[in-house]
Amino acid sequence: MTTSTAAATSPHGAIELLDSVIRPTRRDEAWRYAPHRQLDALTFGPSVAVDLPADLDEQIPALDGPRVVVVNGIVDPVRSHFVTPHGLHVASLADVSESQPGLADRHVDGAELVDAFTAYNLAYATDGAVIVVDAGVDVATPIHVVDVVVPGAATNTSSTGVVIHIGAGSSATVVETRLGAGNDSGGSNVRTTITLGDDATLEHIVVQDLPANQVHLSRVEAVQGERSTLRTRSFNLGASYGRLAYRVELAGVGAHAELSGLFFGAGEQTLDQQITVVHRAKDCTSRQLFRGVLDDASTGVFNGGIDVCPGADGTDAEQSNDNLLLSNRAEVNTQPRLEILADEVACKHGATVGQLDDTALYYLRTRGINAEEARRLLINGFADEVVDDVSIETLRDWITRRLGHDHD
Amino acid sequence: MLHVENLTAAIGDKQILKGLHLDVGAGEVHAIMGPNGSGKSTFAHALAGRDGYDIGGTVTLDGADLLEMSPEARAAAGIFMGFQYPVEIPGVNNMYFLRTALNSVRRARGETEIGARDFLAVAKEAMELVEMKQDFLDRAVNAGFSGGEKKRNEILQMAVMQPRLAVLDETDSGLDIDALRIIAGGVNALRGPERSMIVITHYQRLLDYITPDFVHVLVDGRIVQSGDRTLALHLEDHGYADYVNSDLDADPSAAPGRPLAGASS
Repeated sequence: MTTSTAAATSPHGAIELLDSVIRPTRRDEAWRYAPHRQLDALTFGPSVAVDLPADLDEQIPALDGPRVVVVNGIVDPVRSHFVTPHGLHVASLADVSESQPGLADRHVDGAELVDAFTAYNLAYATDGAVIVVDAGVDVATPIHVVDVVVPGAATNTSSTGVVIHIGAGSSATVVETRLGAGNDSGGSNVRTTITLGDDATLEHIVVQDLPANQVHLSRVEAVQGERSTLRTRSFNLGASYGRLAYRVELAGVGAHAELSGLFFGAGEQTLDQQITVVHRAKDCTSRQLFRGVLDDASTGVFNGGIDVCPGADGTDAEQSNDNLLLSNRAEVNTQPRLEILADEVACKHGATVGQLDDTALYYLRTRGINAEEARRLLINGFADEVVDDVSIETLRDWITRRLGHDHD
Repeated sequence: MLHVENLTAAIGDKQILKGLHLDVGAGEVHAIMGPNGSGKSTFAHALAGRDGYDIGGTVTLDGADLLEMSPEARAAAGIFMGFQYPVEIPGVNNMYFLRTALNSVRRARGETEIGARDFLAVAKEAMELVEMKQDFLDRAVNAGFSGGEKKRNEILQMAVMQPRLAVLDETDSGLDIDALRIIAGGVNALRGPERSMIVITHYQRLLDYITPDFVHVLVDGRIVQSGDRTLALHLEDHGYADYVNSDLDADPSAAPGRPLAGASS
């Protein structure tokens, strides 16, 4: 694995770097539980346009408002709605690269090449979504970015870039839905960069529901200004291997980050959350709340880091990961990573692994609720602690429905 | 209506119920009293269908074999168990839980399910019975409830489920006098010619509020005496010492001051 900072890396420069890129192995802590054979089978290259399968439209949560649909790394203008209220700008990354190259460069400049897949993304994600909110604007309707992969012959893995900038004092909600189609194995690789101006607020939701024969790799990198608030909610549901990585940097004094997530696995899925919150400035607060539900022979991973930099005094950071194992073949690997290099720091972390409460099941059954329904009630009750954080009702309903039926 | 014959229950090597006989007729309220560890709660759970016991003997409800049924089938048959320690279920809304429960037994009985709006009317009526406020329904089942609130929630469920036989396990434990009065009021309002109750309690205090038709004394897994409510008053004065001491003797009849055993088997 290559770990280096590529200052001023253009997409082209990154392609040259690819020769020296080595894919992660089991020896890399952040990739320890990943199915390496499946990862090694992924192929990357320039995006190739395909038509969106018609039946996929029904799978997409129906949210009102602006929408960018990206198919195999290329924006589909027919299915996208770019009409936006005053102060909000939504465009394709390819268009912005031509019209406002400075904005697009911010997405790649100084990007940390944490792993091979980030390098592939920098090289090949030439299109995607750009969302910019001017200063002092409250955007009421959620902005929806839908990423769909249809694995092809040339390359089986799509590469997409998403750029989000919320201006000072503004607020917005962005939903990223990641889906897949087709019968071939493959996957998608999405990298999102977020910048929050001072006093800005963003709710950022990722829903990952690729088919069971595909892989999803996601990396969200956020940098927060003073007193800004970032709320991320992630739903890691589909794919054979679903990886949601976050790196949130609290760069401005008094910033607040709240990361919550649900991973809900069945079959032989591996659902991996790699979280790092960096407290760089003074008096910032961060909360991580992740819940896992693992059935059958599925595996959950929570690798949650809190880095408190020198000088980030007054840091208040908490992390929790609670897991429910529904089968004796399911497993979860939960690991906190705390690195504290400042004074006056309050850090808390905790993890639990449990099974369904037999007494609670019995209690429900004495009320006439059959064993299967009682099980479902308890599981959903556990998951709802995260689902209820989603403020958009239609999306919450979509997730609840998705959790209602088993994953094949 | 309920017929219990030679009921035994064991967990592993430990025999808890050792041959229990009881007949409960329609509309009757039976109190079962006994010292700690006598098997009162085990009897309640044996009726409700808890896993983990080796059960022997016969239990029928309106002629149907109860012991062959799952807990949910027993609920559909009309059994309701009021828990001594109601279970907290975080994340499951109380209202949703109640409606799911009611509709589950309605479905099992071949009746039509009740819609959200009609259910609200049912729930409101039940809530008045136990003096609960609307916000009770919006909270997660028993999560963060006080002891009294949990017990009131049990009676609320009973009022919604309208069971044929209610088994109330130490419903009075941990209650102050006001909560006890509310709960007893709810239970009394639910008494009727077609509804029977088994009220399990350690103390006679509850029976000042819920007047039983019969009182049974359960000691060491057997009913050692049965009588009317005056038996409870006797226990109030004398405690269980007579029965417990006698049980330790080789010859039970040698125990001093022991009342004549009536229905002991």
